[in-house]
Amino acid sequence: MRPSNEPFWWAMFGAGGMITALLLPVLIILTGFVVPAGGVDFNQLDTLFNNPLVRLIILGVAFLSFFHAAHRIRHTLKDLGLRSVATPLAVLCYAAALAGTIWAALVVL
Amino acid sequence: MTTETMTDQRTVTLEVFRYHPDTDSEPSFQSYEVPYREEWVVLDALNWLKDEVDGTLSYRWSCRMGVCGSCGTMVNGYPRLTCNAFLREFLPGPIRVEPLRGFPVERDMVTVLDDFMEKLTDVKPYIIREEEQSLDEGEYRQSPSQLADYKQFSMCINCTLCYAACPVYEHEDDFLGPAVLALAQRYNLDSRDQGNEQRQQLIWADEGIWDCTFVGECSEVCPKDVDPAAAIQQAKVDATNNFFISFLPFTPPGMGR
Amino acid sequence: MPGPLPRAKSNVWWNRGWPYRVFLLRELSAVAVAVYIVLLLVLVSQVREGRGAFNDHLDLLESPLFWIIHAVILGFAQLHTSTWFRAVPKSMRVKLGGRVVPPEAMIFGMYALWVGASLVVLAAFLVEW
Ligand code: SF4
Ligand code: FES
Repeated sequence: MRPSNEPFWWAMFGAGGMITALLLPVLIILTGFVVPAGGVDFNQLDTLFNNPLVRLIILGVAFLSFFHAAHRIRHTLKDLGLRSVATPLAVLCYAAALAGTIWAALVVL
Repeated sequence: MTTETMTDQRTVTLEVFRYHPDTDSEPSFQSYEVPYREEWVVLDALNWLKDEVDGTLSYRWSCRMGVCGSCGTMVNGYPRLTCNAFLREFLPGPIRVEPLRGFPVERDMVTVLDDFMEKLTDVKPYIIREEEQSLDEGEYRQSPSQLADYKQFSMCINCTLCYAACPVYEHEDDFLGPAVLALAQRYNLDSRDQGNEQRQQLIWADEGIWDCTFVGECSEVCPKDVDPAAAIQQAKVDATNNFFISFLPFTPPGMGR
Repeated sequence: MPGPLPRAKSNVWWNRGWPYRVFLLRELSAVAVAVYIVLLLVLVSQVREGRGAFNDHLDLLESPLFWIIHAVILGFAQLHTSTWFRAVPKSMRVKLGGRVVPPEAMIFGMYALWVGASLVVLAAFLVEW
């Protein structure tokens, strides 16, 4: 039985799970409902999203969230019957998470 | 459940899974009317059937008090000990009795447990010492707090209900499964035990804790509140800490296990 | 002679009862998480483009379709949060003075942290700075 590299992915899954559990509900309410309703004006968002620390946080949250989601989706699809393609499935999921993270870096750069 | 149904009910229908390897190519269900008694459990009904109606009916049981762990059966699709599943929980019936899910079936409700037993012995569920302490040094002492570390995981009666609740075990032939991993954790957490490293290779592999996706139903169906799901999650945390620590050039204090 | 019945496997195990269906929904919350992060990044990039791009994006966000998408995502996010907090004490046994901290206390602590983090985010969006 070979040692597993799952701890690495699981650690990111865990960190991302914690950060999304803490931040997503309030963020969704703000950007999904309050912003469209005109509750936050452009200048406020402009200052916020151009702040270097906020940009770094957004990148961190995006990175961990994408890897959290990739790990969970990978295992769910496996549980739903994709066991025979487990390896390509894992590569695909984590590659998508990596691509998402690179895009996030470009957005906040 | 109203008192009315409890007093009115004279009999209850049992739909029993039947399979005999010598004569049947397919399993089937057979319906029986059994007397209803308020204090009867499903096991009482099965025993009545075997004594009074059909002596060929096969199922395991021994203690009749939730201790031996041999009477695990699917009752209305849910893994239960037949000795603590009261007929009155399932009124007005019918009550469907099937072998535990996820195991091959030897005959009727008798499952083949070889796979479980092999995996159980593989994780060495006993205290391992690098060197036995000699008798005149006395017993291995343990504080109440050290006992509390593993006590919950030591309550397992090997009934395999948790396996029947686990979709991962159902699909992944090599997965060690809830009770085996909980028992491995039970000995790993025991202050008297020094066998962690011998168990690690097996339980920290993909087929050990990492196949588990924390469905969590194992802990819900467990009649002994063992909480195997928690044992597995805690083992994942240990394995992950160890994984990252192994890249450090030094061992942080208190992490030397 | 047929011998023992082989073990039965079913790919619709998730439809066996509510606990399994809820488990699947909990896992599918990951899809909502990924979709939301994409939406967030689009918003950030439009705001940083300038006022014009942001106003165009607002038109999109104001549509009923995006309202519904956000509502669904919010539902999944809330499921993720509550199941995650409940899982924390299962994964970590914290001992204080030789006694295990009760799971309820840990879950309460997680929610306290959640309220605190939410207030900080609210302030960042709503308080002028
Ligand atoms: S962990 Fe619980 S359900 Fe599983 S075998 Fe042990 S006692 Fe039975
Ligand atoms: S007969 Fe012993 S546990 Fe049920």
